[in-house]
Amino acid sequence: MSGYLIILVGAVLVNNFVLSRFLGCCPFLGVSKRTETALGMSGAVIFVMTVASAVSWCIDHWLLKPNDLDYIHTLAFILVIAALVQFIDIAMKRFLPPLHAALGIFLPLITTNCAVLGVAEINFKQQTGFGEAVFFSFAAAVGFSLALVIFSGIREKLEHADPPRCFRGVAIALVTGGLLSLAFMGFSGLVKLPY
Amino acid sequence: MKVVKSAFKFKGGVHPDYNKGLANNKLIEALPMPSELVISMSQHLGAPAKCIVKPGDYVSRGQIIGERNGFISVCVRASASGLVKAVEKRLGPAGGKADAVILDTTASAPEGVEMLGDGPVLKPLDWENSSREELIARVEEAGICGMGGAGFPTSVKLNPPPGKRCEYLIINGAECEPYLCADHRVMVEKASRIRLGVEIMRKILGECAVRIAVESNKPDAIQALSEAFADISGNVEIVVLSVLYPQGSEKHQIFATVKRIVPEPPALPIDVGCVVENVSTAVAIADAVEKGEPLLERVTTVSGDAISEPKNILAPCGTKYSDLVQFCSGTKETPAKVISGGTMMGFAVPSLEIATTKTTSGILLLSSRRVFQYTSGPCINCGRCVRACPMCLNPADISKAVEANDISDAERAHVMTCIECGACSFSCPAYRTITQFCRRAKNSIRARIAAEKAKAAAAQNAAEKKEIQK
Amino acid sequence: MITAIVCIAGIGLVASFVLAVADKYLSVQEDPRIGLVLSELPGANCGGCGFAGCDAYARALVEGTAPNGACPAGGEAVAAKIAGILGVEASATEKRVALVKCCGTRSEAIRVGDYNGICDCNVAAMTAGGDKGCVYGCLGYGACANVCPKGAISIYDGLAKVDKRLCIGCGKCVSVCPKKLIELVPSSATIHVLCNNPDKGPSVRKVCGVGCMGCHLCEKNSGGKEAGHFTFQGFLAKVNYSNPPTDEQIVAKCPAKCMSVDPLLESGH
Repeated sequence: MSGYLIILVGAVLVNNFVLSRFLGCCPFLGVSKRTETALGMSGAVIFVMTVASAVSWCIDHWLLKPNDLDYIHTLAFILVIAALVQFIDIAMKRFLPPLHAALGIFLPLITTNCAVLGVAEINFKQQTGFGEAVFFSFAAAVGFSLALVIFSGIREKLEHADPPRCFRGVAIALVTGGLLSLAFMGFSGLVKLPY
Repeated sequence: MKVVKSAFKFKGGVHPDYNKGLANNKLIEALPMPSELVISMSQHLGAPAKCIVKPGDYVSRGQIIGERNGFISVCVRASASGLVKAVEKRLGPAGGKADAVILDTTASAPEGVEMLGDGPVLKPLDWENSSREELIARVEEAGICGMGGAGFPTSVKLNPPPGKRCEYLIINGAECEPYLCADHRVMVEKASRIRLGVEIMRKILGECAVRIAVESNKPDAIQALSEAFADISGNVEIVVLSVLYPQGSEKHQIFATVKRIVPEPPALPIDVGCVVENVSTAVAIADAVEKGEPLLERVTTVSGDAISEPKNILAPCGTKYSDLVQFCSGTKETPAKVISGGTMMGFAVPSLEIATTKTTSGILLLSSRRVFQYTSGPCINCGRCVRACPMCLNPADISKAVEANDISDAERAHVMTCIECGACSFSCPAYRTITQFCRRAKNSIRARIAAEKAKAAAAQNAAEKKEIQK
Repeated sequence: MITAIVCIAGIGLVASFVLAVADKYLSVQEDPRIGLVLSELPGANCGGCGFAGCDAYARALVEGTAPNGACPAGGEAVAAKIAGILGVEASATEKRVALVKCCGTRSEAIRVGDYNGICDCNVAAMTAGGDKGCVYGCLGYGACANVCPKGAISIYDGLAKVDKRLCIGCGKCVSVCPKKLIELVPSSATIHVLCNNPDKGPSVRKVCGVGCMGCHLCEKNSGGKEAGHFTFQGFLAKVNYSNPPTDEQIVAKCPAKCMSVDPLLESGH
């Protein structure tokens, strides 16, 4: 149990996907203008990352490992994840239209999201069990969501601020992102990292 | 009856410079009838009254000149006999023009010309043997609205919708606005009338506990009230509130006296079983019922450091500010600012040609030493307004959102809950006019809601027409 | 090597098969025109059309519940393209531009007080109706200029002026003005009455040197009542924009000097 707790704290705070590993910076800047959209994106990312890591674990352990094909894992993961996200998009549109309306526009964004591929890569490198791998992906997605929601809250406030002209828009957002990243560095050393 | 100290303190609040000493020991003086009155049709909250007189009519004192026009509305009566010189749009104290009757009070009807509505206006009522409905009808036909400032029709307030019961009748004598002491003088001089008004209201509302809320900086008022209410039966308490602005706000008074919280608008105090009435309103109710005297005059404080003799004046509704100032021996120096109401929530007015209404509790003429010409700076995020806000809002955020033209963000920050008390602007070290920002946001939100309603109504009308055509 | 190729190809085949099946049996049919219309719209999601973003407007257009040409940012070019996609005519309306119906500059219209609050007309209007003596006139605190998406409105001498060439007729200024004195007029009309005060002549004169007094001279000079170039509201002349006057002589003959030949062009800064 304590192993899972360490994974959670490690992935959410210490090695936050966005703020420490700098994965998923595109949606971090792209959909953080309003808290509502940030929450929608967070939900989509948590869902897709958990499912994608489960599938990629299966591919890795049942298809690549037995055939000694480790070296093409990146290729295989990209293929599988892209197809998976497309499938989820289609299925969700059919069976869960309200959820699709909420998350739908974010799903294509995730297709090629480096955070999703990154979590599969990390799982591949660490070679953990299925449960731990899936939980780590979930925790990493929660960390991503936390960073995204905090950042969107700050950006909403920033919109009402009056920065110098050259700093307006993405420029001040990047500076803020950097400061947020610095703040998260304060968590380093909180737990002994398994990852 | 007992006198208790309020045990509950609301969050926030500020301590402005009260300056009550200028007029709080001045006896109420009656103003000699001015030669011209400007009686506005919009003296209350809600729909303006419908004017029913035309130029050339002779009207008598107390006669109805504006009919009640809708549910949230009250009638307007002539404050004096005279000749209707004109009916035209005049600027009111709060800005905005409304129909007003210009009355020449020196003219008397020539022989043979019929005075409209001559004779006694209302008959005195024996309140103990009158029914509840009779009393409510009397309050309504006397044209009484809340005299604390907002001007909500009293007959509506005293007639709770079915299913809602009044448990506490709270009589508001806090008068927390700086300078103003009209209510203070009423409490000192007319305590027995307040008692009668309370007893009538208690009869209208059914058996309920009565709380009379007075701020502790008015010991003589507390003394006078406790003497007047000494032998009253039932659950009556005089609650002494600590001196804090905005103690006189309805919602904060309810919290300070009975510790109940009125939810966000559109909830009203009656939703938590409370009815709040101003002390002057209680006196008006007593006069309307016992003497048959409609609400035609009110006590107004004329104060400020530019006025020669600050006074509390009993003046007919519709008296021009210039007449009041003249009665106070004019001004010592040129006023830099004239405020209708108190310094915290009052409105700056551009001229003395504006006339009093049923809700004008004071006029302040302030010299340039008291009026501060400022330039607003950017918000420095110090949080003083957050600490001062008695409604637990974040005024800094709201003001920044409105400044950036983001009204929807202000709405998400619950700007509609704002009571516009001015505590945020008062406490801002950057002199930001936060209350104005809030008012602007509230106005545009209200306008948007009204537009949406109109659109929906129009769509429904069109749909109904189509149905009929089919 | 061979295994790798077979493996990746296998995964690709399975995935594409699954997606093909899903697309066949699970997909929801959507009007393809929505995508086409959406690609023509500017995508700024400004809400100027009255819908929540370009996507919502595109859907409404395809459903036929929204008029074509409502997009202020795209203008006529976009409307024409969308009309092509939808196979309907763009509602052929003449270009309309905003007109500020007031010419009471600081020197002409008196100010009754010193306004020391937020520089915004709506707030100023809440304070005793604003500091201008004329309660119908332009306060000049620039609420319209602040909402104008094209920067077509600027304040000169306490008065808002519209640059006709920049104005796209979106109407945002019309709705934000607390005095309701901005009107959308056909851009071809050249003669305008720049006053919004319907009061009697003497009371207008008291507050403004260039206010309309309702003398009807403009009407007389433009061919009388029958010509129908002007309508009157109280003591205020209004140009009948469905039949605007063309004789520019009448402007010089206006005794109140509240008429103007195309004030919209003056501000081409």
